[in-house]
Amino acid sequence: MAQPVVLNENITATQPKIWGGGRSPFNVSYGKMMMWFFLLTDAFTFGAFLISYGTTRFFSAVWPDPNHVFGSFPFLGSGYPLLFVSIMTFILIMSSVTMVLAVHAGHYNDKKGVIKWLLWTIIGGIAFLSCQAWEWTHMHHEGGWWGSFTDPSVPKETYEHFFKTTLPSYANAAPAQVIQSAHSFFNYFFTITGFHGFHVTTGVIFLILVLINTINGTYERRGHYEMVEKVGLYWHFVDLVWVFVFTCFYLL
Amino acid sequence: MASNQHNHSIQDLYEGDQSKLYSGVLAHHDEGGLESPQSKKQVKRIWKVFWVLLIVTVVEVVCGMYGHNAGMPKWLLSTFFLVLTVLKAIYIVRVFMHLGDEVRNFIVTILIPLTLFIWFIIAFLADGSFWLHMNNNVGFHKP
Repeated sequence: MAQPVVLNENITATQPKIWGGGRSPFNVSYGKMMMWFFLLTDAFTFGAFLISYGTTRFFSAVWPDPNHVFGSFPFLGSGYPLLFVSIMTFILIMSSVTMVLAVHAGHYNDKKGVIKWLLWTIIGGIAFLSCQAWEWTHMHHEGGWWGSFTDPSVPKETYEHFFKTTLPSYANAAPAQVIQSAHSFFNYFFTITGFHGFHVTTGVIFLILVLINTINGTYERRGHYEMVEKVGLYWHFVDLVWVFVFTCFYLL
Repeated sequence: MASNQHNHSIQDLYEGDQSKLYSGVLAHHDEGGLESPQSKKQVKRIWKVFWVLLIVTVVEVVCGMYGHNAGMPKWLLSTFFLVLTVLKAIYIVRVFMHLGDEVRNFIVTILIPLTLFIWFIIAFLADGSFWLHMNNNVGFHKP
């Protein structure tokens, strides 16, 4: 409640009510706050996916080894653990930097700077998606896909190369357990990286739309580049999710 | 001509755009624009965060490749990765997403719901390992 301040008998001044409406108590616009709340819900969606992956992994007696699953590089063949995904990660971090530079240029109403950095971000996003397309194709050639590895009678050679076979957990596991873990691993891998890739794709589309608006001078006439900031939030979130996907699938 | 014909400029169409009220919060109108010392300081900070993210990722990849072979215990390696991951997340959210520049109340509003993850992770992973225990000791899979 606002407290009326009695200055003298005739005049009373009212202090503004912070939560009384008419202004944002958080000092942010509606659009930006809603972007944050959307990202919060999206964080829980991705969190649920990754925790489900973790639960299945804790439930399994044996699990594919990332250094064996992700050991290939285009044109070089296998034997390069984590090298390709490092490049993918680098591309995404780099695109996050160019995005924040676009937001920065927008804060100074620098139209040319916004255009330049948005273009680099779009290029980075497309490069990341191309890498992911290669990785998916490669995984598919290796035999991994949604719903693969369901037949317990298949020969060992079809799934053995995904595992670190020197581990005691591998030696002690029954073939059915090994196959089931490969099955779960690829289901989660394609679902989660696919959902992330879908976010990157929509992010690139948003960036292209914002770029067109910038070139057309829409934001210049509006007087501010907050739309660049809002799409930037989404883009950084995609990078943020990748940080966790990278740890869960490729490192742990 | 028909009276319902309008000739609004884009700006007029956005007259109700409430973001105008707050667009100046993070925007800067310093002397010199992008070349001002304030701006240069911010760009420097962005590149600093880039280097932190890059170096942390390189360290993670190297440990991921050689950690298991070097005989590091699995739990230590996992903890190390998780700490570095959270560190990267903090840098991204705070600097790249500018959450650190927002009003304190807003920061708290965004962060509090995320504490649910603490329960979420503990409960589900504990459940997973309980099931493994059951399967190994009393389940049908017992050899």
